[in-house]
Amino acid sequence: MKSLSWLIGLLIVIGAIPMITHDVTLRETVFIILMYIALAESLNIILGYTGYVSFGHIVFYGIGGYVAFLMIQNYGLNIIPAMILAGLFSALVAYCLGLAILRLRGAYFAIATIGVNEAVKALITNLEQVGGAEGIYFNIKVYSAYGGAEHAIWLSYYLMLAVTIAVVIVSWFVKKSKFGLGLMAIREDEDAAITLGVNTSKYKTLAYALSALFPGMIGAIFFFKNGNIEPESAFHLTKSIEMIFMVMLGGFGTVTGPMIGAIVYERIRGFLIVSEMFKALHIAISGIILLLIVLFMPRGIIGFVRDKIPALRRFVE
Amino acid sequence: MRKILVALAVLILLSSISVATAKDEIVIGFTMSQTGKFNSESKEQFQGLKLWADQVNAKGGIYVKSLGKNLTVKLVYYDDESSKDRVQQLYTKLITEDKADFLISPYSSGLTASAAIVASQYGKIMIATGAASDSIFNKGYNCIYQIYTPASRYLTGAIDMLKAVDPNAKKIAIVYEDSKFAKDVCKAAKDYAEQNGFEVVLFESYAPGTTDFTSLINKIIAKSPDAIIGGGHFADGETFAKQLYEKRVKVKLISLLVAPAVPEFAKIGKAALYVTGPSQWEPMVRYSPEMAKKLGIEWFGPTVEEFVEAYKKAYGYEPGYHAAGGYVAGLVLQKAIEDAGTLDTEAVKKALEKMDIMTFFGRISFDTGEYYGRQKGHEMVYLQWQEKKGELVKVVVWPESAKSADLIYPLTLKFGKETTETPAEAPAKEEKGPGFEAILAIAGLAGIAYITRRFKP
Repeated sequence: MKSLSWLIGLLIVIGAIPMITHDVTLRETVFIILMYIALAESLNIILGYTGYVSFGHIVFYGIGGYVAFLMIQNYGLNIIPAMILAGLFSALVAYCLGLAILRLRGAYFAIATIGVNEAVKALITNLEQVGGAEGIYFNIKVYSAYGGAEHAIWLSYYLMLAVTIAVVIVSWFVKKSKFGLGLMAIREDEDAAITLGVNTSKYKTLAYALSALFPGMIGAIFFFKNGNIEPESAFHLTKSIEMIFMVMLGGFGTVTGPMIGAIVYERIRGFLIVSEMFKALHIAISGIILLLIVLFMPRGIIGFVRDKIPALRRFVE
Repeated sequence: MRKILVALAVLILLSSISVATAKDEIVIGFTMSQTGKFNSESKEQFQGLKLWADQVNAKGGIYVKSLGKNLTVKLVYYDDESSKDRVQQLYTKLITEDKADFLISPYSSGLTASAAIVASQYGKIMIATGAASDSIFNKGYNCIYQIYTPASRYLTGAIDMLKAVDPNAKKIAIVYEDSKFAKDVCKAAKDYAEQNGFEVVLFESYAPGTTDFTSLINKIIAKSPDAIIGGGHFADGETFAKQLYEKRVKVKLISLLVAPAVPEFAKIGKAALYVTGPSQWEPMVRYSPEMAKKLGIEWFGPTVEEFVEAYKKAYGYEPGYHAAGGYVAGLVLQKAIEDAGTLDTEAVKKALEKMDIMTFFGRISFDTGEYYGRQKGHEMVYLQWQEKKGELVKVVVWPESAKSADLIYPLTLKFGKETTETPAEAPAKEEKGPGFEAILAIAGLAGIAYITRRFKP
């Protein structure tokens, strides 16, 4: 429990600073950090625990975004039920998809997930009812139901914080549960897991659905705050790769790892992009820093800490 | 110790007050796409804007009446990576930390929409350049002002042009790429054509990436229209023009989106001859102070020649419409501040609403109705590829007020005495190299293989 409580404590502290100081620039930065943490943690369930590389995981973020956006735009739904519906819908899509593509292993699965992402993107681009290639734009009046754009943005921030805390708790309990143990057995050797009586196809599909639930909710919040959605930004493959990178950077298969990976990744990119000295070269410099971390800590930051300082193992899960 | 602390506190307080009151520069904030897919367009736009800022500062700045002095302009900008992720974060920072007085939009309509929410939340004026979408402007924003001609008026000028040059032309074929932008443009053009008494004999789309237009061209021939308008992007527009020529399709006017405005269009040789297309602006347009006088509106800023000359001097090549759009965004802001005589947002907004000026970019005035802030004065210019001394050159042929040469009409002039029969040879297939996609795919596969191997020790 200790390893969970300090993680939640840390999240609450990070999340509370902008609320106390009312510093909106900081709020925007923390919003992105929280979003990255939540995305990386949910990807970790299928990538880190189960060992299936979902390369096109961003598809669930996009689907969630679209579902919530259409609900709000067409039926005037409040963001909170819209967000929950979006998450559930993403999970449902993942469940159905998983039944089919989780039969594939290794690189074949990874490629199939990229295919799914591109296919959904192409579908949305060609569907006029959901805005096609240009996407959909909110009327600014949508926000008046929440007391204006400013309150709506603050609300998005609170929701993002809540979702992030929920993801971390779920991720921790999955790891500690029998379910998580089954997933890790699949990761180590799927055939052996079957022999030992693990219902692998059920476990894998559930893990996939669970790891799609939260990206759907995050997509809903992000695009609600953003005010418009278009296929190019909803199904952006680069963001998918960034998610994998954050998990790898922090240490896959751990609870703390994706969180630390997301914070480090965002801070390096976010700092360089606005710094007077580096902003012209920010991608090159952040590339070098990240490369160095990966080269010298192949098991990620948390893997490195756990290897070097055994005393910390009890607290760092 | 205590005294020192108190002194220090007082000092900090004093310095912060003096910083707050001394306003000697106008901060203009924006993000540009230094990296990512909008990189080249956004860079041009930035260079235009920077040229404006440099010229204003060289003259001592913008005169602000309420302060009784000139204020210099300071541009504060960050890289948005052509992606939505950071646009709102960076615009919030520009407004709250960098204390931007005015904003310029990022490049492209999608990024502009994200920034617009933050801008309107803080009530900051944002000049939108590099965004041609109509859909941002009926969403209730009241502080976003568009520089470009919106998509709904992209091809309507072609119809005006046809009407003016040939009152007997009655039949139009509209053929467009199946993308949101081309579709919006062509739907608006169709409505406009029908209102103007034309008969739209063909209204059909083709899939993005089409390389063989044979069946479509046969349909066009069967309907024998006077003009073909439409297109989509560069590659399909170029191929379409080429195949129309190979089939010797006898229409009097061809007007296509995007492709004719790109210099590479000349590579298809005679197929490009006399083809027309719309553009936001071209370096050879002929807007002039005399013309503004004729229209009874004010001329503001440099002449076309002065702008092109200054841009060439600064960057070594001719500006395109992205660069011009960047410069004009600054110019419009300057004019509004000078008219308002203050930096107060409400007063500057009133000045923008009232604005009706002529610049080297064309006429600028803004919609104040349902589509608040949408560009209303600016017109697309139409260019045509003509032959000069054996070489293909672009000239501006429409509108009357901007043209640098006369429209050569009908297009069939280029066939000379050739017969209408289709040539026997099949259209040459273009060899396509594996290119960038293949390299990316291989790198991606290698990456996946590496990651999957790590799970199996």
